[in-house]
Amino acid sequence: MKFFFFHLMPWPHLPKDYQGPAWITCPNSFYDPEKGTAVYNRYLDELLYAEELGFDGVVVNEHHANAYGNMPSPNLIGSILARQTKRVKIAIVGNALPLYNPPVRVAEEFAMIDVISGGRLIAGMVVGGGPEYYSNGLNPTHAREQFYEAQELIVQAWTRPGPFEFHGKHYKLRYVNPWPRPLQQPHPPIWIPGAGSLETMEFCAKRRYAYMGIPYFHKRVFQRNFDFLREACAKEGYVPDPEQLGWLTPIYISDSDEQAWREYEQHLFYFAHRLLEGITTAPPGYTTAKSVVRMVQARGDFMSNCKTRQDIEAGDFAIVGSVATVREKMRDLIETYGVGNILALLQLGTLPADLTRRNMELYAREVLPYLRSHFGAKAAAA
Amino acid sequence: MSAATETLNVRGIEVTLHRAGRGEPLLYLHSASAEASAWGEAFELLAHRYDVIVPVHPGFPGSGGLDRIQNVGDLVLHYVDLLNALKIQPPHVVGSSLGGWIAAELASLYPERIGSLSLVGAAGLWVEGAPIAEVFGVLPGQLAERLFFDQQHPLAQMLHAAGETAFDTPPPEEILLAFHQSTEATARVAWNPYFHNPVLERRLDRITAPVLVLWGAEDRFIPRAHAERYRDRIRGAVLRTIPQCGHLPAIEKPDQFAREVLTFLDAHPVNPPEVA
Repeated sequence: MKFFFFHLMPWPHLPKDYQGPAWITCPNSFYDPEKGTAVYNRYLDELLYAEELGFDGVVVNEHHANAYGNMPSPNLIGSILARQTKRVKIAIVGNALPLYNPPVRVAEEFAMIDVISGGRLIAGMVVGGGPEYYSNGLNPTHAREQFYEAQELIVQAWTRPGPFEFHGKHYKLRYVNPWPRPLQQPHPPIWIPGAGSLETMEFCAKRRYAYMGIPYFHKRVFQRNFDFLREACAKEGYVPDPEQLGWLTPIYISDSDEQAWREYEQHLFYFAHRLLEGITTAPPGYTTAKSVVRMVQARGDFMSNCKTRQDIEAGDFAIVGSVATVREKMRDLIETYGVGNILALLQLGTLPADLTRRNMELYAREVLPYLRSHFGAKAAAA
Repeated sequence: MSAATETLNVRGIEVTLHRAGRGEPLLYLHSASAEASAWGEAFELLAHRYDVIVPVHPGFPGSGGLDRIQNVGDLVLHYVDLLNALKIQPPHVVGSSLGGWIAAELASLYPERIGSLSLVGAAGLWVEGAPIAEVFGVLPGQLAERLFFDQQHPLAQMLHAAGETAFDTPPPEEILLAFHQSTEATARVAWNPYFHNPVLERRLDRITAPVLVLWGAEDRFIPRAHAERYRDRIRGAVLRTIPQCGHLPAIEKPDQFAREVLTFLDAHPVNPPEVA
């Protein structure tokens, strides 16, 4: 079992009176670059601190034109981490492949980070969020097809001796020959984040890539998705290692359940009600009409609809409480889901630096050792 | 009169097609909305004097072949194939919105295949300072406001209701599926460049057929400046507007729509009666 520290790098300074979406049309006049310097450096400090606290890895991702996550280029952050950390895995989950043309760019940049970091990269690949297809003008009706083809091209770029010709539907390159090549062989581990698209899970099962369940859903949605993934693996004739399944969840710990909620609630709801506003925008053709219908019907299971602490707790949208509470909930959910990569979102929304650090410390010092020993003993007994 | 609905194989694409009436052929190219899914009043009125043919575009509910469509040019070729398959004389072509765009492309690339051209709230152009409004991903209520002048129109009401109740009681799956399928097929050709083809405008002078430009006076999706641009770039084109009407005259004002189109078509027969 591996424990990761995930950072979204959210913008914590949306004006109080702004009620609109945090995506696509959220005015970038709200971005204050002077505050931005402090925000970026604080978040980078938190990522570095995760190594010091003993996490197995740190995780960042890519989003554009939004207040939810200020990493349009996670590879820039990844390259800083490659130099400033020494031990942790650096998971970039991921690059939105259709946004890179040609996608060989991803093969190159990921290889650079892998080589510089001494082989610590986890290469995440995503279709890109729905809003990104508005912000970048890409035709969403080709999104999946382009993603699969780009993924194929990147893996070939890492594994086939170059130069070679790649002649796809969307990408036609006569000389694929990227320098550098990745250090990890045959290529860095590939993670695919997904929000429950059946097609994505079948793809992961087939390729034996790790699937990372995107959070902000009711626990029954997670359960359904992880079960589906295991079934898909079974159809491919194997039982997946738990580390082929990743679970990302917001966590907050304090001295008691009551105090944890007192400290966390406003920051959590800044996230759930303001930063999530607009994230589910699904442009036409981005998923099949059938999937869209399924999503519309499951909208009630999305975190932004939570109004109260009770709603959050009822669906385990976030794990909040004392050390004892969080230990127990994490243990039970990890067991129920059968997951082996635990991605903790320990900074969320407007959660300030001091509370974030304390949260990280409590999680790393009180919860991680417990979970490691619990599941370690279980694995040894098995 | 009720229309015959048939399935036609157009070079490997299965197309649903409604047809009724007698007279010179009239090919109606529908918008991204649902007007081709049922035989509406507007078609009925046109069918009194014309052989009205209403095919469903590739990828829209009822027709296959979206995988063969990468851009509006593929749709134009599809309609050339369809005209060949129907073995009809150059028809009167009436196109609304997305269908108007296809019609304008068809008429400028294959002018000899067109008897006359009616562009109704047609997309296809980019006019500085007069952007086409966003329709992808907006709430159903906003869509109603962009498409209709009369918010009491049953379809506008249906959209408003869908917006209000979608959360608790989503609309029937069949309607949702049809909506998303239509939107996807539209986005395939209209996402970027947004509802236009940058080279269409300079090709418009190739059109030889008589042209009517018909616009809802209160169109909040495609501004009137686009109507004027079509009129100015096409030799001999006439611009007519329908008062108190939004973007979809065939749906919102079927009577006036049919009257305007019939008046124009009657004045421009493809086969003029021989003078005795």
